[in-house]
Order: sequence, then C-alpha cells, then structure tokens
Amino acid sequence: MATRTTTDRGRGGPGAGRRERISGRTMGLVISTAVLFTILALRSSSFLSGYTMFVISRQMAFYALIALSQAFCLVVGQMSLAVGAIGSITTVVLGLGLETWGLPAWLAVAIALGVGVLAGLVNGLIITRLRIDSFIVTLSMMFLFMGLRSGISGGSPYKVPDSFTVVGQKSYLGVPDVFLLVVVLLGLVGFMFRDTVFGRRMLATGGNATAARLSGIKTEAMVVWAHILSGAFAALAAVLWASKLGSAAPETGDDWLIISFAVAIIGGTGLNGGIISALGVFMGSAIFMLIKHGLVEVKANPYYANSFLGLLILLAIVVDRVREIYSHRQKAR
Amino acid sequence: MLELRGIGKRFPGVMALEDISLSFEPGRIHAVVGENGAGKSTLIKVITGIVAPDAGEVFHEGERLTFRDYRDSLARGIDVVNQEIQVVPESTVAENIMLDKLVTRGRTGIVDWKAVRRVARTYLDMVGLAVPPDTVIKDLGAAQKQLVQIAKALAADARVLLLDEPTSSLTNHESANLFRILRGLRDKGQTIIFVSHKFEEVFALCDTVSVLRDGRLVGTRPIAGLTPPELVRMMIGRDIADAPLGRLDAECGREMLRADHIVRRGKVEDVSFTLYQGEILGLYGLVGAGRTELARCLIGEDRIDAGTVFVRGERAAPRSVAESLERHGVGYVTENRKEEGLLLASPVRTNVTITVWPRLVRRLTRAISRAKELAVTGDMIRALDIRTTGPEQRTEDLSGGNQQKVSISKWLAAECDILIIDEPTVGVDVGAKEQIHRLIWDLAKTGGKAILLISSDMPEIVRLASRILVFRDHRVVGEVADVGDRTRGYADISAAIGRYLQ
Repeated sequence: MATRTTTDRGRGGPGAGRRERISGRTMGLVISTAVLFTILALRSSSFLSGYTMFVISRQMAFYALIALSQAFCLVVGQMSLAVGAIGSITTVVLGLGLETWGLPAWLAVAIALGVGVLAGLVNGLIITRLRIDSFIVTLSMMFLFMGLRSGISGGSPYKVPDSFTVVGQKSYLGVPDVFLLVVVLLGLVGFMFRDTVFGRRMLATGGNATAARLSGIKTEAMVVWAHILSGAFAALAAVLWASKLGSAAPETGDDWLIISFAVAIIGGTGLNGGIISALGVFMGSAIFMLIKHGLVEVKANPYYANSFLGLLILLAIVVDRVREIYSHRQKAR
Repeated sequence: MLELRGIGKRFPGVMALEDISLSFEPGRIHAVVGENGAGKSTLIKVITGIVAPDAGEVFHEGERLTFRDYRDSLARGIDVVNQEIQVVPESTVAENIMLDKLVTRGRTGIVDWKAVRRVARTYLDMVGLAVPPDTVIKDLGAAQKQLVQIAKALAADARVLLLDEPTSSLTNHESANLFRILRGLRDKGQTIIFVSHKFEEVFALCDTVSVLRDGRLVGTRPIAGLTPPELVRMMIGRDIADAPLGRLDAECGREMLRADHIVRRGKVEDVSFTLYQGEILGLYGLVGAGRTELARCLIGEDRIDAGTVFVRGERAAPRSVAESLERHGVGYVTENRKEEGLLLASPVRTNVTITVWPRLVRRLTRAISRAKELAVTGDMIRALDIRTTGPEQRTEDLSGGNQQKVSISKWLAAECDILIIDEPTVGVDVGAKEQIHRLIWDLAKTGGKAILLISSDMPEIVRLASRILVFRDHRVVGEVADVGDRTRGYADISAAIGRYLQ
C-alpha cells in the first residue's frame, strides 16, 4: 500500500503541483545519477578533478537546455523536430550579426534569440491555425531551417569577438557560468509549472486538451506558447554554445534532435503530455552526460555511440512503462 | 442455450457482479435491465469475453467457455451489436458484413467480390435493409448501420445475438422496425439478449427479463404477467426516484440566457428559447438530436452560422469557452466527463480549481496560493459531498458519481450562474444519481442558478425540469411547459413528449 501511494504521487499528472517536492520517478533518477557518479569516480582518479567536473557540468547544462526546448512541446502534447534546426539557424544569424554586420554583441544576441522565438511562433501558429500535426509541421520547418543555414553560411563558421566568450567559458568559484544560469532557469521552469497559472494551464493542455479547453483554458494559445518557449530555449542554447566554442558554427544543433528527446524522456517528461519535472530534466541531463563520459572512459568504440543512445532512450521509456503497468496492477487489486 | 453460473467480478472499490446465474434460451428475447452502474456493461463484457470473471463459469450449448478474447466469443457464435456502432465507416456494406469471411476464388487469396456482394445481399434481406451492398457505410443513417451490424452478426453465424442499448440513437419508427426484425429472428430460433434501461422497450419486445441491481441479480421473470411498476421496483429497489423535489416555478426570475434562431448547419436548425434565473430548462431528445451541438454553440466551442445568443439581456458571441466563462459566467458540464470534462490523472484539487487559478494568485510572487487552492477545494468537497480521500486524490480513482460532482464543482467555484449540464447521470450509480439530482435541483431552487439540463433519461428530465424542450432532427419540435409545478403526472408528461417525437 505504501509503495502504491508513492507511485501514484510520483505519477503526479497534469497540474499536479504536488506538495511533495520530489516524486518517486525523480527520486529514481537522483539515485541512478548518484550510482553512475560513484562508479565513475571509483574507476578513474581524474574524474573528480576540477577540470573534468568543469567540462562535465558545462556540457550537462547544454543538454538540459536542449531537453527543455523539447520538453515544453512534449508537455502540451506536442513535439518539435525543429529544435536543432532552430539552434542552427540562430547560430548563423548570430554569426551574421557579429561578423558580417559587425553589430554589438548584445544586439546580435537579441536578434538571434528573436529568430528562435519567431521560429517557434511560426511553428505554433501553423500547428494551431491550420490544425496540422506538430510532427509534420516541425519536420518541414526543420528542413527549411537546415537549408537556410547552409545556404546563408555556406557551411563555414563565423568568427565572434573575444568579449563574446565571457559567459560560455568563464566560471564562478569553479562552477561554469552556463551551469549556474541553467540551474536558475530550471528553478524558474519548475516554479512555473508548479505554481503559476500559465504553467498549470500548459500542463492541463497536455493532460487532456479537450477537457482543458472545455474548462475555459485557451489551449491553442498554450500550444503556441509552448513552441515559442521551445524556440527561445533552443536559441539560447545556440548562443551559449557559440560563446563556449568561440565561434558560430553552422553545424551547431545537428545532433540536438536526438539529444532533446533522449534527455527529456530520461528526465521523466511524459511523452503524452502533462508531465514534466525540472529536477527530472536536470537529472536526465546528468545521467546522459555521465553515460557519455563513461563510454569514453571504458574506451567504447565511438562508431557504436548512436546505438548506445538508442538503447538508452528505449530503456527510459521501458522503465516508465513498467512503472505505469505496475501502478495499475496495484490499483486493480 | 447460453448459461451463466455464479459469475462474480470485482473492480477496485466496487463489486461489479456478484453471483450471477442466468440462462438465455433459444427462440426468446431475453432482456437484461438495470440502472446505470447496475452491472449490465460488465455482464456483457463477461459474456463476450472482454472481461474475465473472478468467479463462475459460462456455458454455451453445454460446453464450458474459456474466453480469452473477443475473437473466441465470435468463434462460439456470440455477437454483440453495440450502442457505439461498430462498423468500418469507409468500407462498403458488403465488406462490413463479410469482414470476417471474405469469399476468395479457390485458394488464391483473391477476394471474389461478386460472391461477397451476393452473400451480403442475402443477409441484408434477412434484416430487411434495402440498400445496395456497395453503399459506403458512412452514407447510412444510424438505424441502417445498426441493421448492418445485425446482418454482420448473422453472417458470422452468431447463435447468440447481444444488443446493447440498440435504440439510443434511433427514432421511434426506426426502433419499431428493428423490433420487428428481432421478433422475426427470434421466431427462427435465434437467442437474443437485449440490454436496455428503457423498460417501455422491454415490455414491447421481450419475452423474459432479468433485473440487475448493484451488481446482483434481483430476479428473472417472464414479461407476461409483469407490470411496469413491478419492474421499476425491481430495478430501483427503493422508492427514491419518486421522492418529490418540490415546485420549481418557471419564468419566475430574470432572463439569463436567450437563444434567438440559432443555426449551425447540419447540427442545429433554428433553435430559440429563453432560460430564466432559478429554473431548470430540460432539453430532451435522442442522442444526436442537436442538444449537445446547441450547447457547444452557446459556450463558444463551435461556431454559430446564424442567430444570436443573449446573456443577461446582452448580446453575446463567445468565441471560446474561456470567454464564456470569464465574460459571461456560463459553465458547461460535459457529457463525457472522462474524455472531455476532467484531467483524470490529476488530483481532485486541480480539477476543482482549474477555472479559478487566476483568482488564487498571490500578488507579489504571481504564484498560485496553495492555501487558497486547498480552501476552495475543501469548500467544494463539503458543499457537494464529494467522497474522496482528500484534495490530492487522483480524480481517476473516484467513483463515477463523485467524478461528476467534481466536474460540476469547477463551475460553482467559478461562481457561474448559468450552467449547461449535459447528461449528468450517465454511468453513475443509483444512490449518486439521486444526490446529483438533488444537487442540480438545489442549485436552481436555493442557488438561483439558471440551468439548461440536457438528458435522454425521461424520468430524470421530468423530475428535474421546469419546462422541457423536445428536440428531433436538430430542431425543437415542441415544448412541455408546466412540468415544474408538479401538477401533472409522469405518464401524462412522458406521453406529451412522446407525441412531439412522433
């Protein structure tokens, strides 16, 4: 009976905003992360070094941003295949602004973020106004953006001024600035979904769009907002990535699509909408990072990297499904 | 002969069936009746093998059945004609009838369409359906689709034909035709099980009736020698349905909602009415007669093609439910609470407060105040007597009646004074039905709410409504005005409604 209660609360569901801050699902992620971390620390003496921690935590922050970009769509029952493509086109626009047009960094960044928001807005409007499935809309937009970035950039990276690398490369007390920023953002996202009207309405939309609409929620607006947030976070990740890299590389975002799904799903974001946990996404990105790192540690053949990724996503879904079936069994008794 | 011996089935929190022993004989139409929640659906599922019983056995022609799935029961010659009509809409009549056994040329696996059409034709003749076998299903009416289903069952050589609420979307004339065909099949020795909650039909059609109540078999009786009041007593077991609610005077308050020649093409044709404060205006009709469609227009969920809606005397043209909630204070309790009314996976708290979140926000942080949220939920749980372990219980785990109360409560939390309530007691057990009736009645009587009550349940609408508008074929075909003063008897009012539906 005790397990059942935890499982039920753990499932939370749309608009759960539960008093318990950490669900059973997220607790499992925390434990998995701790186990992975311990194994890696025991295996390699360099793992706990300041440098490794710096690199890992910074990379993890990017994964979290990319996952959030996907999670905003998933949470309202949508998906975005254009996450990486938006990152890519944003990078190119950023490069244009900084190198070609010679704009001040703040303005170039603002324009780049604006492009991300606009891309999300367009996705959201096409999906809701014309009632076309998000899969097909974002698939088309993905190719549209990919073509644009290749056409505009010709494939070569843009130079960015040294001053631009401040956020991406610096740290505060040994913790990367990017990581700190993402922790704050995750906190805000968690707060939004748990305690704000806007976040609750997004959750309700994903939980049951018809019921939400018939309860007076403007679900189409929520879907548009989800895509806007998704675009904004993809753009933010792209800008930070350019800052970290010290150049605006057009191929940024090419591997984001799979990462966005993998980390979001491992982090417990519900595939059918209505379920998200900011802490879960954080843990998901940690697990993802640690496994990647671990594969390098054990000198796994990098040519198989994608297979591991696929298995990992599948594992995350299977674990979730098993948990669901188990909780239903409990109830049936 | 189909025989059930000691069937029992338990679901979480409820005993759906308890020790049911019944036998269905060939050449008889055997009615299974009971109120919503009495266990009819579960019994059907046991007979058809969709649900495995926890106890008891099913015998068909002396042989014990171990149903594993639906196909098994088809193989045993038991076929269901469902209330949700199960046909493939894009295929032809012939294909649907012969779906399970398309005739092939020799062993080539190539379908011999000529033979399929010919065989289909013979079954269509058996059910008296005069449409070409090549007609596409979606071009047929509800009654015709039903006959196709029966033809399909016959083609599958079904020896037991199970009809589950077959008349819910049929007109009286169509029902009469269906009954004639069923009697013909009975006379040829078919076993027919007829599940219904309309006892008028049971008396008109059936030979034997078994009554379920709260998952138990109350009794099996031959129809001959049984009177309607006796059957009602068996079904309800108590006299609660007759407990008078008192007078509701129509047109006593001010005008709250007025529809002026509302048209939505193909769905609602020229509907006008006025709803006053403190009254319950009943909309009676068959499923698909245009009542829910009208409601969806009134709340801004669907577009109106012509006509005007007035709320409190002012012209209103809500374009979304959000607008009709926030600007006009109109709430809509949906017909399908599970699919359209509730976030089932969410706690009760979320479903109660979903309409009022903006009011519960703390000024400084813009966060929804947990304390206020719990206070609102607690108030509603008490006011509506919602049986729950607390505000955090998953809504899915509540019983049907309590889910319905949650579904109503969100509009009360939002202080809506115009409520459109659509089929409030479908799938709700007897006791809860009484509670919901009292709740709705109180909302109008003491709460002064203006209520538009959509129901296909004649006793329910006669009991609650002040006036009744009768819908048929997307329009209002009549109004029975003096229901609320309780001077006319049930028989009188139902006869009046019946006359409009002719």
